[in-house]
Amino acid sequence: MSTVLVIAFVGIVFIGVLGFLGRRRPAANLTEWTVGGRQVGAVTMWFLQAGEIFTTFTFLGMAGLAFSGGVAAVYALPYVPIAYAVLFFIAKRLWSLGRERGYLTQGDYLEDRFGSRTLGTLSGTLSAVLGVVFVLPYLQLQITGLGLIVKLVTGNAASSTISMVVGFVLVVAFVLWAGLRGVAVTSYFKDAIMLVVLVVLIVAIPVHFSGGIPAMFQRIQQLHPAALTLHAGPNDQVWFFSSMVVSAIGVALMTLPHQWAPLLSARDPQVLRKNYTWMPLYGVCIAFPMIVGFAAILVLSKNTSANGVLLTLTQQVLPPWAVGLIVVAAIATAMVPAAGIMIGISSLVARNIVRTRSDRGQFWVNHGTVVVACALALVLVARSYARTHSPTCCFSHIAEQCSSLPRTCWACCANAWSARCRSWRA
Amino acid sequence: MRPYYLIPAVPALALVLMPVLPFLNSTGLWLGLPRLLVWGAVWVALLTPAMLLTGRLMSRAEAEK
Repeated sequence: MSTVLVIAFVGIVFIGVLGFLGRRRPAANLTEWTVGGRQVGAVTMWFLQAGEIFTTFTFLGMAGLAFSGGVAAVYALPYVPIAYAVLFFIAKRLWSLGRERGYLTQGDYLEDRFGSRTLGTLSGTLSAVLGVVFVLPYLQLQITGLGLIVKLVTGNAASSTISMVVGFVLVVAFVLWAGLRGVAVTSYFKDAIMLVVLVVLIVAIPVHFSGGIPAMFQRIQQLHPAALTLHAGPNDQVWFFSSMVVSAIGVALMTLPHQWAPLLSARDPQVLRKNYTWMPLYGVCIAFPMIVGFAAILVLSKNTSANGVLLTLTQQVLPPWAVGLIVVAAIATAMVPAAGIMIGISSLVARNIVRTRSDRGQFWVNHGTVVVACALALVLVARSYARTHSPTCCFSHIAEQCSSLPRTCWACCANAWSARCRSWRA
Repeated sequence: MRPYYLIPAVPALALVLMPVLPFLNSTGLWLGLPRLLVWGAVWVALLTPAMLLTGRLMSRAEAEK
């Protein structure tokens, strides 16, 4: 067993253990489990919200997109911060409504805001069904990402499968045990290790291959000038604009089910506003993996798998133990967001689809859904393997757009209709 | 609507218009980096002072009420 593989498995288990440590006391009800009893403080909120920015898509996908599309990858830099500028104004209102009316999910909000009970129930259920259907592939993406990371660095398909199963059994276990607080504790680790790793990579890789970042871009300017402009092709200006705007609308209108639990968990609405104010500075770090992707343009052949460029360059530059740490950071960006997604899916099913009468029944449906959702995502991964004999890890924007576009349309319609039925200030 | 609500709209607009501004879509570099990347990073970072200013003006307006 290689050093990298040993460190990767230790990292997977460590993230799982951190998740278990997040529990303070047994959750008495779904409010405690899903939104931490609405008592989450500023620091924890920061890391929960940062979890929405840095996923496997950001870590590996951004480098891959810069490698294959050049500056077109920059579309991903502004969309979350633009959405934060919108949430800066509306989050306080959503939080207050959530606290007053006991919301735990997006479906709860839609259900409550309609004046008509029938329409409210219909919209709550429909949004929950759409939420589950369109976010399940996003969960699958995180699992596939974990497997791809291990396969890229070990070249071993069996290790990849085992790591996916072990990793996600641990995620299910700590999510069931600790709920949102487990996600929060793992988020601390994920963001800390990921920032360190990204800083190391944007220094080490350009210095190793080109003598520094400015020298690297000067070589790109001479050898691959097209990588520095938006031009006709799959990633043209229309693609850039629509990807950025649609993604920003999706995040700003809270269309993703896993956005709701962090927002509703805040102890104080001022915490939310403060986080949305400062989070764009943190979001600038998305440029780091893009710079690594640009380095790959000079070093790797065009046929190289885009999703693997960050790890491929890392293996060429750093010693095995350091590669192991980078793999752990990449694995964390798969496991931690997946935990948040599971909470989003399970609470939608328990609150807005199955609708059991008792609190205890709701709790059990919720916990059962966590297990079923993860099992279903693993089955989807296995089917994808069977079809292609390799992990079909599509970190490109398409995956995110597929999950958010129909939901964006739905949310726009639902919110507009809701606003007609009942005024904001009612 | 109070005008200070529009302050964060300035960096947001600069970002949304990024793909259509001709001086950005060029092979030239700023500070040794692609122009689109520099423009995007700077305006994203400027969203923070914009929201800080709006937040302060909102608090002042609430206190005056």
